[in-house]
Amino acid sequence: MTTTSVDVLIIGGGATGAAALYDLARRGVRALLVDQLDFTTGTSGRYHGLLHSGGRYAGRDLETARECIVENRVLRRIVPFAVEDTGGLFVATPADPADFPARWLDGCAKAGIPAEPLSAAQARAAEPALTHDITAVYRVPDGSVDSFDMIHGFVAAARDLGGDAWIYQQVTALLREGDAVVGATLRDTRSGEARTVHAACVLNATGPWAGAVAQLAGLNVSVKFDRGAMIAMNTRWVNTIVNRLRPAADGDILVPVGTVCVLGTTSVHTSAPDDYRVEAWEVSKILAEADVVVPGIRNGRALRAWAGVRPLYEPPQAGHDEAQGREVARTFSVLDHAVLDGVRGLVTVTGGKLTTCRLMAEKAADAVCAQLGISAPCSTADEALPIPAATAGRYHRLDHRLHKLEHGEMPGDLICECEMITRPQLEAAIAAYGGQPVALDDLRRDLRLGMGPCQAGFCGVRAAGILQAVRGQASAEATAALGAFVDERFRGVRPLLWGHQLRQLYLDELIYRRTLGLDRLPDEGVSQATTAAPGEEAAHG
Amino acid sequence: MAEKRKVNRCTIAATQGRGSDVIVIGAGLSGLLAAVYAVKAGARVRLIATGWGQQIVSPGWISVCDRADDDVIAEVRGYAALHPEHPYALAGLDALVCALDLLQDIAEEIGEPVAMRPRDGHNLRLPTMLGALQTPLLAPAGIAAGDLTEVEEPLLIVGFAGWRDFYPALVAGNLSAQGIAARPLTVSLPAERGSWDDWPADLARRFDDSAFRSAVLRQVQPQVKGAARVGFPAVLGMARHAEVRREFEAGLGCPVFEIPTLPPSPAGARLSNGIRRWLLRQRARVQIGHAVLRGNVENGRCTGVEVGALGHANPFYADTFILATGGLYNGGIQSDEAGRLWEPIFGFPVSGPPSEGRADWYQGRLLAEGGHAIHGQTGLRVNAQMQPLDGDGAPVLENVFAAGHLLAGFNPLTDGCAEGVALATAYKAVSAALAARA
Ligand SMILES: Cc1cc2nc3c(=O)[nH]c(=O)nc-3n(C[C@H](O)[C@H](O)[C@H](O)COP(=O)(O)OP(=O)(O)OC[C@H]3O[C@@H](n4cnc5c(N)ncnc54)[C@H](O)[C@@H]3O)c2cc1C
Ligand SMILES: Cc1cc2nc3c(=O)[nH]c(=O)nc-3n(C[C@H](O)[C@H](O)[C@H](O)COP(=O)(O)OP(=O)(O)OC[C@H]3O[C@@H](n4cnc5c(N)ncnc54)[C@H](O)[C@@H]3O)c2cc1C
Repeated sequence: MTTTSVDVLIIGGGATGAAALYDLARRGVRALLVDQLDFTTGTSGRYHGLLHSGGRYAGRDLETARECIVENRVLRRIVPFAVEDTGGLFVATPADPADFPARWLDGCAKAGIPAEPLSAAQARAAEPALTHDITAVYRVPDGSVDSFDMIHGFVAAARDLGGDAWIYQQVTALLREGDAVVGATLRDTRSGEARTVHAACVLNATGPWAGAVAQLAGLNVSVKFDRGAMIAMNTRWVNTIVNRLRPAADGDILVPVGTVCVLGTTSVHTSAPDDYRVEAWEVSKILAEADVVVPGIRNGRALRAWAGVRPLYEPPQAGHDEAQGREVARTFSVLDHAVLDGVRGLVTVTGGKLTTCRLMAEKAADAVCAQLGISAPCSTADEALPIPAATAGRYHRLDHRLHKLEHGEMPGDLICECEMITRPQLEAAIAAYGGQPVALDDLRRDLRLGMGPCQAGFCGVRAAGILQAVRGQASAEATAALGAFVDERFRGVRPLLWGHQLRQLYLDELIYRRTLGLDRLPDEGVSQATTAAPGEEAAHG
Repeated sequence: MAEKRKVNRCTIAATQGRGSDVIVIGAGLSGLLAAVYAVKAGARVRLIATGWGQQIVSPGWISVCDRADDDVIAEVRGYAALHPEHPYALAGLDALVCALDLLQDIAEEIGEPVAMRPRDGHNLRLPTMLGALQTPLLAPAGIAAGDLTEVEEPLLIVGFAGWRDFYPALVAGNLSAQGIAARPLTVSLPAERGSWDDWPADLARRFDDSAFRSAVLRQVQPQVKGAARVGFPAVLGMARHAEVRREFEAGLGCPVFEIPTLPPSPAGARLSNGIRRWLLRQRARVQIGHAVLRGNVENGRCTGVEVGALGHANPFYADTFILATGGLYNGGIQSDEAGRLWEPIFGFPVSGPPSEGRADWYQGRLLAEGGHAIHGQTGLRVNAQMQPLDGDGAPVLENVFAAGHLLAGFNPLTDGCAEGVALATAYKAVSAALAARA
C-alpha cells in the first residue's frame, strides 16, 4: 500500500473543498484534495446554477442573505469566467401573498441587497416571456454560475501554487492516534486499490456526506438531507434569472444556464445523501409553478431532470425542534472537533450555498490553520484567478458557436449538434486525460457532450468511435463506454418522457437497438457498468 | 450476392377498387404501401401526410421476424397461432406474404430493388455501424449485399476521414471479435465548404458526382489486397445510387456493400421519393407537408377529413380512409405529462400500459431486455378487418381502417417485426376497405 504525507487532506471535491484547496495553497499550506468520484459529482453538480444575490433569503434568513450578497460580489471578482451576469428579477403575481413584497424589501434593505423596482412593462420589455399578470417586480444582482468551471478554476489555481487533487479516491477510514486524526485510508473507486495519506489535519468538506465521514472517526455530526429536483428546458426561455416574489416554495426559480433554462426546485426530506430520485409529482409541480410566471413553458421541451441533496446541519442544541426542509437555516457550519469533541486533526464544514463556498472555505481553513499553528491570513477574496486552460472558452452560447462554425473559426466536423462540439475539441479533451481512464460521461462534464435535446442519441456513438481512434482501444471497450453513457443519460430523461421528449427517446432507442444493434453485441458492457461500484464504468471493458 | 426472389405470388385485380375514392393518411411504410396497393387495385387515391414516416430514420431493412433461425414465414405462422392479438394474427399470413411481394414489385419498378437471401426464405445477417449483426428478411440491394450468412473473408470496411457518422475501426473490431475477419481503412474526401455538417443524405448526394466518387475510389483501389468484399457507409449515391455501386464493384473487382449509418437514411429517402413519383405518375394525389386535423363523422361513417391550410382547414372526401399515422413517434398517438394517450384525428380509443400515469411506461434502463411498456402496449386495438374498436370490441367507424405502428400488440423497437407488421396490416387494411365498398 502506497503512503503519502501532506499537511492537510481535504475530503470532497465540491465547491467547498475546491475553494479550501485554493485557500490553503495561498496560505502556503501543502494540501491534497480527494473525491470519491469526479469533481462536481456531489451537490455542486446537482444544484440550480444560481449565484444568489441573497434575495431568496431576504424574507426569513438575513444571515444567509447577507453572506450571499457579499460573496456574490466576491465571486464575480475572482471567478469571472464562471459567472454570467444575467441579473435577476423577483416577480409577484396575483397568486402570491400581497403583503410579502413589503416585508421582502425590508429584508433586502437590512441585508444590503440592492432591489430596484420596475414597472410590469419594464420587466416584460426585458423579459418578453413573462406573464402579463405582474403585481410587483424588482431587479436584483443575481447571476448564473457554472460550478464545473468554478471548481476547475479553484483546482487549477491551487495546483499552480503547489496544491494537488486526486479524483476517484474514496476515504474509507480515518486514521486515529489517540485523540487525534492523523490521516485516512483511500480506495480507488475504479481499480479498488488502497492507499494511505498521512496528514496533520483533515478537512471534511463532504457536504451531505459530512455525517458519514465524521462517523469514520467515531464522531457524531447530524446532517439532515433535503432533496430538490430540477428540470432543464431545451432553450433559454429567459435571459434573466426569474424568482417568484413570495415566501420560498417549490418551483420558484428559473435560471438561464449556458444553452438551457433550469427550473426548480423542490424540498423533500430524505434519508440518504445520494437519494437522487425525481418523482412524477415534482416534475408536475415544477412545470406548473414555472408556467405561472412564464406562461407556456410547461408545454416546452424538457430535456433532463435531476436531483440534489442539500446538507442541512443541525447543531446539537437545536436537536429537538423539528425544523425541516426550507425552515432550516441555509447558513453553513464549521465544526472544530478539537473544541467540540476533543479530537484534534479534524475539521468539518457543511451546509451553506454554492454562492458562499469561498467564505465557507475561508472559515474552515481558519480553523485548520489554528490547529496547525499557522497564522497566514486568508487572501482569496480579492485577486482574480487565472482562467483555467481546460475550461477557457467553455462558457458559450449556442449562437456564438454557430457563428464560429459558419465562419470557419472552429475547424473539424460537428460531433454533437445540440451543443456544437467539434471533433478537434473532443480529441483535445480526450488527450487531456493522458493515460487516465476516461468515460464518455467525463467528456460530457468537460464539453457538455450529450447534454442537449437528443441526450447523446447521435453524438454518443460518434464520441465512442473517436475515443477508440484517439486511444487505440479495442472496439469492445468503446462499445462498453457507449453502453455506460446510454445508461447514464437515460437516468435523467426517464422522468420526462411524454410528448416531444418521448419521441426523441424513441428515436434514440431506435438508433441504439436497430441501427447500431448495441443490445445485440456479445459483451454489451451496459449491465455490468450500472451494477458496478460508483465510477467504475470507465474501467470496465 | 443476394438475388431477387419473391416469397410468393399474389395478384391484385385492377378492378377491385374501381370507382372508389381512398384517402390514405400517413407516408410511412404502411401508408405508402397502402397507397400503392389501392392504386394498383384501380382506386382513386389521395395520400396526405405531415411528413415522411420512419423509413427516413430507420436503417432501411425490412424486419419481419428477426429472431427466426430458419424459415421466416413458418416462424411467423407459429407465433401468430399463439398470439391472437398480434397484428400478424389479425391481418393473417396471406396479407404478410402478399405485402412482401407487393413491396418487392414496387421497389423493383421504381429502381430501388430490395433483396432477400436466395432460395431459402431465411433472414439475412447484416453488419451494423457498430459491427453487431442484425437479421432482417429483406434489405435494399446494396445493404443486402453485406449478408454474412456465408462469410467470404476478409472484409474491408472503408470510412472517410473527418466524417462523423461512420467509424470503420469500430465496425471491424467488433466483427473480428465475433469471428468475422475484417480490417478498417480510412480514406479522405475531396474538401468542400460547409462539409463539417454533412448528414448521410448530403454525402450520398455528393457521391452522385463522378469526379467526387472517383477520387474516393482511387484511394481504395490499391488497398483492396485480397478483400473478399468491401463495405462502405450507406451513402453511395442518391439519384445515381445503382450506378455508383456498379462503378465501385467494377473498380474494386469485388462485391461492394453498404452499412446503414445514423439517420436520416438515404435508402429510406430514395424509397419514399421513388414511390411518391410513381404514385404521381399513376395520377394519385400526394400531399406531403399537410396535417390532417380531424375526421368528420356521421352515422358511424367518416365523411371526410379536414386538412390544415394557412388560417383554415380544407375538407377532403372519400369512401374509405386508411389511417397510417404512425405510433408515438410520428404523431399518430399523442401523449402528455399526465400520462394520457390519445389518437388525435378520430379520437379512437388508445390502449396503453395498465397503470395510472407515466410511472410504468419505461423500465430503468433504456436498453432493458424486452423493451418498454409504452412501446409494447400502446396502440389502437383493431379487428381482423383492421377497423379500430371501441371498449366493447365493436368497430367505431365502418369505413376507417388502421395500419402500421398505430396498432397495439407489438413493440416496433424490440420485437424484430416493425416493417413486416407495417406492410401486412397496410395490405389487409386496403383489402378490407375495398371489399367493404364492393
Ligand atoms: C436542489 C439544490 C439546489 C441548489 N441550488 C443552489 C443554487 O442555485 N445556488 C447556490 O449557491 N447553491 C445551491 N444549492 C446548494 C449548493 O449546491 C451546495 O451548498 C454546494 O454545492 C455544496 O458544496 P459542497 O462542496 O459543500 O458539497 P458537495 O458538492 O456535495 O461535495 C461533497 C463531495 O464529497 C465527496 N465525498 C463524499 N464522501 C466522500 C468520501 N468518503 N471520500 C471522498 N470523497 C467523498 C462527494 O463525492 C462530493 O463530490 C443547491 C442545492 C440543492 C440540493
Ligand atoms: C446548472 C446545471 C445545468 C444543467 N444543464 C443540463 C443540460 O443542459 N442538459 C443536461 O443534459 N443536463 C444538464 N444538467 C444535468 C447534468 O447533466 C446531470 O444530470 C446532473 O449534474 C446530475 O447528474 P445525474 O443525476 O444526471 O447523473 P449521475 O450519474 O446520477 O451523477 C452524476 C455523476 O456522478 C457519478 N455517479 C454518481 N453515482 C454514481 C454511481 N452509483 N455509479 C457511477 N457513477 C456515479 C457519475 O460519474 C455521474 O456523472 C445540468 C446540471 C446543472 C447543475
